Amino acid sequence: MLKLQDLTKAYRTDEVETVALNNVNIEIETGEFVAIMGPSGCGKSTLLNIIGMLDTPSSGHYFFKDEDVAGYSESQLGVIRKQHIGFIFQSFNLIDELTVAENIELALLYHDIPAAERRERVAAVMDKVGIAHRAKHMPSQLSGGQQQRVAVARAVVGNQSMILADEPTGNLDTAHGQEVMEMLQKLNEEGTTIVMVTHSPSHADYARRTINLLDGHVVTESMRSKI
Amino acid sequence: MFSNYVKIAIRSILKNKLYAIINVLGLSVGLAIYLFGGLLSDYEYSHDSFFKNFDRIYTLRGNVSPQANIGVSQIDTVQSAVGPFIKSDIPDVDAVARTILREFLITVGEDNYYQSVRFTDPELLKIFDFDFIHGDETALDGSNGIIISETLAQKYFGNENPVGQSITLDHENDLTVMAVIRDIPKNSHFNSQILMSTPLGILIPMRAMERITEFQPDTNWGNTSSGNMTYVLLPPSLDQAWLQTQLDGIYERHMPDEQKEFMDSFEVRPLADANTAIWDMLGIPVITVVKLLGIIVLLIACVNYTNLATAQSMGRAREVGLRKTLGAGRTQLLLQFIVESLTITFFAMILALATLEIIIPLFNSATGKILNINYLNTLPWLLMTTMVVGILSGSYPAYVITKTSPIEALRDTARKGRAATIIRAIMISIQFTFSVCILAMVLVVYAQNDKVEESSRIFPKDQVYTLDRINVDQMTDRHEVLRNEMLSIPYVNDFTLSSQVPYEQTNSNIRASKILNDFSQTVNINQLNIDDHFVSTYDIPMVAGRNISRDIAMDTHLRSQGAVNVLINESAAKALGFSTPEAALNQVFYEDEKEKGITTYTIVGVMADRNILGLFNSVKPFFFFMRDASYRLASIKLSKNAPVSVVKDIEEVWHGVYPDYPMQGKFLNETFQKVYMIFDMGTKSLAVFAFIALFLAAIGLFGLAAFMAEQRTKEIGIRKVLGASNNQIVRLLIWQFSTPVLWATPIALILAYLASGRYLEFFAERIGLPYGMLLGAGLCGLLLSWMTVATHAFNIAKTNPINALHYE
Repeated sequence: MLKLQDLTKAYRTDEVETVALNNVNIEIETGEFVAIMGPSGCGKSTLLNIIGMLDTPSSGHYFFKDEDVAGYSESQLGVIRKQHIGFIFQSFNLIDELTVAENIELALLYHDIPAAERRERVAAVMDKVGIAHRAKHMPSQLSGGQQQRVAVARAVVGNQSMILADEPTGNLDTAHGQEVMEMLQKLNEEGTTIVMVTHSPSHADYARRTINLLDGHVVTESMRSKI
Repeated sequence: MFSNYVKIAIRSILKNKLYAIINVLGLSVGLAIYLFGGLLSDYEYSHDSFFKNFDRIYTLRGNVSPQANIGVSQIDTVQSAVGPFIKSDIPDVDAVARTILREFLITVGEDNYYQSVRFTDPELLKIFDFDFIHGDETALDGSNGIIISETLAQKYFGNENPVGQSITLDHENDLTVMAVIRDIPKNSHFNSQILMSTPLGILIPMRAMERITEFQPDTNWGNTSSGNMTYVLLPPSLDQAWLQTQLDGIYERHMPDEQKEFMDSFEVRPLADANTAIWDMLGIPVITVVKLLGIIVLLIACVNYTNLATAQSMGRAREVGLRKTLGAGRTQLLLQFIVESLTITFFAMILALATLEIIIPLFNSATGKILNINYLNTLPWLLMTTMVVGILSGSYPAYVITKTSPIEALRDTARKGRAATIIRAIMISIQFTFSVCILAMVLVVYAQNDKVEESSRIFPKDQVYTLDRINVDQMTDRHEVLRNEMLSIPYVNDFTLSSQVPYEQTNSNIRASKILNDFSQTVNINQLNIDDHFVSTYDIPMVAGRNISRDIAMDTHLRSQGAVNVLINESAAKALGFSTPEAALNQVFYEDEKEKGITTYTIVGVMADRNILGLFNSVKPFFFFMRDASYRLASIKLSKNAPVSVVKDIEEVWHGVYPDYPMQGKFLNETFQKVYMIFDMGTKSLAVFAFIALFLAAIGLFGLAAFMAEQRTKEIGIRKVLGASNNQIVRLLIWQFSTPVLWATPIALILAYLASGRYLEFFAERIGLPYGMLLGAGLCGLLLSWMTVATHAFNIAKTNPINALHYE
């Protein structure tokens, strides 16, 4: 699916250069479920942003489906991103002024899909994540777990082949966190590649592989057999 | 502590230069207009305050009856017969004096000058404490002594003492200079009470007036010429209301009945109001309007500042939260933000004053006023304004940003409610409605002016050179000499004499009847005395009959004869009830001239309709005939290729024919421009105003867009992550940010449509309803609004979505 080769990301201000990622080499196969762990400031989110093409590396290569996208412009990246990648955030990032259904539909608005088909797909995905009965509600009327399920629905409604989740359970209690993890697992079983940043070792256990980062380096990679 | 506030304020201003510049610009425009309104109104109301008796001097005006139908509801004068009755009926007044303005040819030694003079009662010198350089208050006691101003003394006599020297009026009346007074400062009604400038130059005793002009001021109930004054000086114990009561009595007892039909009452006004009489006559309180506009514009600027500052302060929520956590009290934070807006206002004030220092001299030279900013006197006012504006516009953002709890502030979740945004949007809508409406009006007025100019070309106004004031008795004998001499100049093609030339706004009309001895059914027809070359000089075709001729005796009117052959225009033919111009030929109409008997006019020719008055007027019915000695003007028609030097030749010929009279010559175009200029100036002031209004509205919109942008960064981030391209985002934002303008535009256009309809009604020849222009103005407003919000839209669209979505 994707391959990072000698990838480095440095932030430069007038005087100081901060290296967030240093010579990172990672390969992720299609259909994998990968967890990225590490202490605060180790570069987890930077890595996720680069994988998600929201940010560009300072040097190195990023092969996405055998295409080196490291030097691509923002708009080129945007095209790949909207076709292949869905995002889930810790803080849900739903638009407060739109209903649940509209929030999900937003992901299809930028895909040239006719309105009728959009409605069908939104309805289908809402069934899948179990929030169909909340379709007309505003995000503020939902619990955190429900909001995150809407976010998950939005991330997959466009048939994205990869989901990037940045601490998807960080704002949730244990029960709701569990629920979201099970949903991600189910999606993975259906073939979606998932890359997740998390602080929680128990949630990392859902993944088949865990990458540990420290100060911008990959320190360990551990494989685990499926639970 | 305070210096710390100022330091932080200046740093935060420097950090957000664009916002600071926009804030300073917006506020300085508001302040400049507000200050200008204040200065102008102070200036106008402080007129004449240097006279010792300033607050005891009153002037009289006449309230015009509605049935008089002269277009104004008040005139700045009363009949000169009123003055003597005040003297005889109200013994308690300290002094009464009238002034009557006239223009004369003044001869000093060999030199001739045209100069306006004031006939006046000697008590004028008791009322006004003029500053005598030579002579004293007894100067007007005789009937031949006059007072002249310092400037005229210098002009006529150079540096020598002119007392005892003589000057001659119209080559007939010798008068002796008895005193010289210092020039009256410009901010006196003597210099600026009426539009034309007639500074106090020569004072002549009223008792000399009848001898010089045959006009009898003490019995005059008929003439009410603008600029003639009646002044009353009251003792300190009596006031305006008392004088008003006394005058009402005089009106009842002495005003002739037929005059009561024209004038409802007399009105007493303090001298301070004298210089704004023109605006009272027109019924437009210009000074009040200017002052009020200044306040409104300043308020709008304040609101805009508040909007922008509130939006901007959102970005500083974290700073505030931090300060709170570190123990800063609410009051301290409020102070910090208010000091910041005071600092901005302070800079805006400096910029406003600098702008005024540039604009006021331009304004002064355009209007002949002497406005200036007296910093010593106005300092308290300027400081107060700065304080009030700074606090007024700074308190709301300060309040909003400091009321959030430190935790919320740190989390940057402080977001304003929708209601506030809607109120802001409505205010911006109102501003745009207003400014797009004015802009549309500017275009309409401009196009109509163009139309007026274009229609005026029907007369060859650049080819005709006119000579004014040729109706003095000694000059009329030599009119034919003048004609022959002028026609001998190369490039001179034609020459005509007339009592009026095109574009002069004078109506002299008669009530004409088609039935002899029955004047119950009459039509008003304007009368114009012309010679036989008028139609050829002014390119007016004849549509029926013949031109008048000097070879036919009946074509020239003599005082002794009660009949004359005349030309009429097509409109007059219609007004008199003739079905065709031909039907009017050889028909007659009559005028009842009371004591002089009935005059019979026989129509011998009909001219095509030409708009003699031009400008906004409709074509009026006119009749034309020859009468020697009635001609005030000569018109000389030059060929198209005439060189500039031909004017020199004309002047030379003039001096040969009339060595004793200076030539008053000008191209016909100048006569046109004199009136047209009023419309032109109106358009220009309106355009300036439209520009300012649009500028402020744009700043307001900029602030609103900044505000909404701040609120929507998260949403935009999400949209981008979901695959929206930059272009899609920009389009969405520009569209949404300009919603207030989209609402405003149709309302503005409807208002402008109605207003332009009303405005155009004033003109007889008008442009069609200018839909294109209205739409153009709307489009302008829309484009401007898009340009204004585009910066924000691009900036938000450009930001990396992770900045907006990232959690802390």
